[in-house]
Amino acid sequence: MPVILGIESSCDETSASVCVDGHILSNVIANQTVHEAFGGVVPELASRVHQQNIIPAVHKAIIDAKVSKKDINAVAFTRGPGLLGSLLVGTSFAKSFALGLNIPLIDVNHMQAHILAHFIDDPKPKFPFLCLTVSGGHTQIVKVNDYFDMELIGQTTDDAAGEAFDKAAKMLGLPYPGGPLIDKYAKLGNPKAYQFPEPQIPGLDFSFSGLKTAFLYFVRDKQKVNPSFLEEHMADVCASIQHRIVTVLINKVKKAVKETGIDQVAIAGGVSANSGLRDALLEAEKKWKWKVFIPKFEYCTDNAAMIAIAGYHKYLKGEFVGQEVSPLARWSV
Amino acid sequence: MEDKKEFKIDNIEMLPEIANALLSFAGNNKVVIFNGDLGAGKTTFIKEICRALGVNEVVSSPTFSLVNQYDGEQSMIYHFDFYRLKNEMEAFDMGYEEYFFSGNYCFVEWPSKIPNLLPGQYTEVIIAEVDNGSRQFQFIQHKK
Repeated sequence: MPVILGIESSCDETSASVCVDGHILSNVIANQTVHEAFGGVVPELASRVHQQNIIPAVHKAIIDAKVSKKDINAVAFTRGPGLLGSLLVGTSFAKSFALGLNIPLIDVNHMQAHILAHFIDDPKPKFPFLCLTVSGGHTQIVKVNDYFDMELIGQTTDDAAGEAFDKAAKMLGLPYPGGPLIDKYAKLGNPKAYQFPEPQIPGLDFSFSGLKTAFLYFVRDKQKVNPSFLEEHMADVCASIQHRIVTVLINKVKKAVKETGIDQVAIAGGVSANSGLRDALLEAEKKWKWKVFIPKFEYCTDNAAMIAIAGYHKYLKGEFVGQEVSPLARWSV
Repeated sequence: MEDKKEFKIDNIEMLPEIANALLSFAGNNKVVIFNGDLGAGKTTFIKEICRALGVNEVVSSPTFSLVNQYDGEQSMIYHFDFYRLKNEMEAFDMGYEEYFFSGNYCFVEWPSKIPNLLPGQYTEVIIAEVDNGSRQFQFIQHKK
């Protein structure tokens, strides 16, 4: 019954998780409650603050899982991709922890871990399957042949899907990050009220930059004619832009399904919380007989449970790294 | 050396030319900041400059990741986007000095978030949309 400690610090979130025999027993993301035992407040962004978060987060993850430090068999950590300064904190911590307890060290690719989050709960996809990873920083379609055998078959050439949502929100005068607000308004509006162009990008790659500009001109032109256009039509505008971003994603996945002949489709990343995307996938499941996998939301955004589960599968294969390991800001899936 | 230059283009195919013009204008002032509204074409222009520097990989927006790095033919290139920073302290938190003073090219989107952290010498690019789709580019050398 291997006990794995997972550490994530690739971007904003400091997170720690304990996985016992493939089951997640704790998944702590640094926030105010994590600091209660130690005092102090939780800072918001990036690397040096991971220093303040990491020990409280690990401490709480171990307590929540009701294990003791000496039960832990290996430490898995995010080696990349991400911000180098942020990755260094998690890497250094994991190395010292492993050295202190004399246990093996496991390096995990953050983008692979997002996909492996599908192996935390049932139902689990079977290999091979396709995964659409959509977040504020990424938009990828990955063909997953096995736990650690993955092929990047499509990616964004400019903005990520989550960023397209956030920037559209900004143009509508909504606060950052505005993606979730667009989703909220969209539920009340007509997705066919306004038409936006679908980017014509060959293959399975994505582009959202042209759509962003088209949306900017649309908002500006409408406001020229009617200064209170947005107040009057916010729900329809949000529903329409959300519909377009979602159809761009779904159409590429549809193309990937056709090209690969694989009809198991998983999603990962923070944008999987978007209700428009979820509905469209469930509709595709009915219409085109796909088998769709959507993980629990806490496993979609950046978290250490996915690092722990990825670490568990590497542990079973006996894939460890030595103390000389260093983080990688760039590391393809 | 000129301190200011201006171009106007009405066709995106002219962008490689402007990218080369910027590189020779910037010279050794390798920290280049980009000002312009959302949708003006900052990321698009930076993609073109990276291509001119021999980058073969995908140049995408670093809004979420804060900084992307690419391998150019001669050296590493750092591409920043400070759009989501709340204050300058957060730039310190990400270790911006390590990048800015590395001697490599640093292309910075949304520099208005870090007005006091720019180095003594830097190059500024201002991109503005003029009459329906055309773009005006201004290059400015700043020395303290």
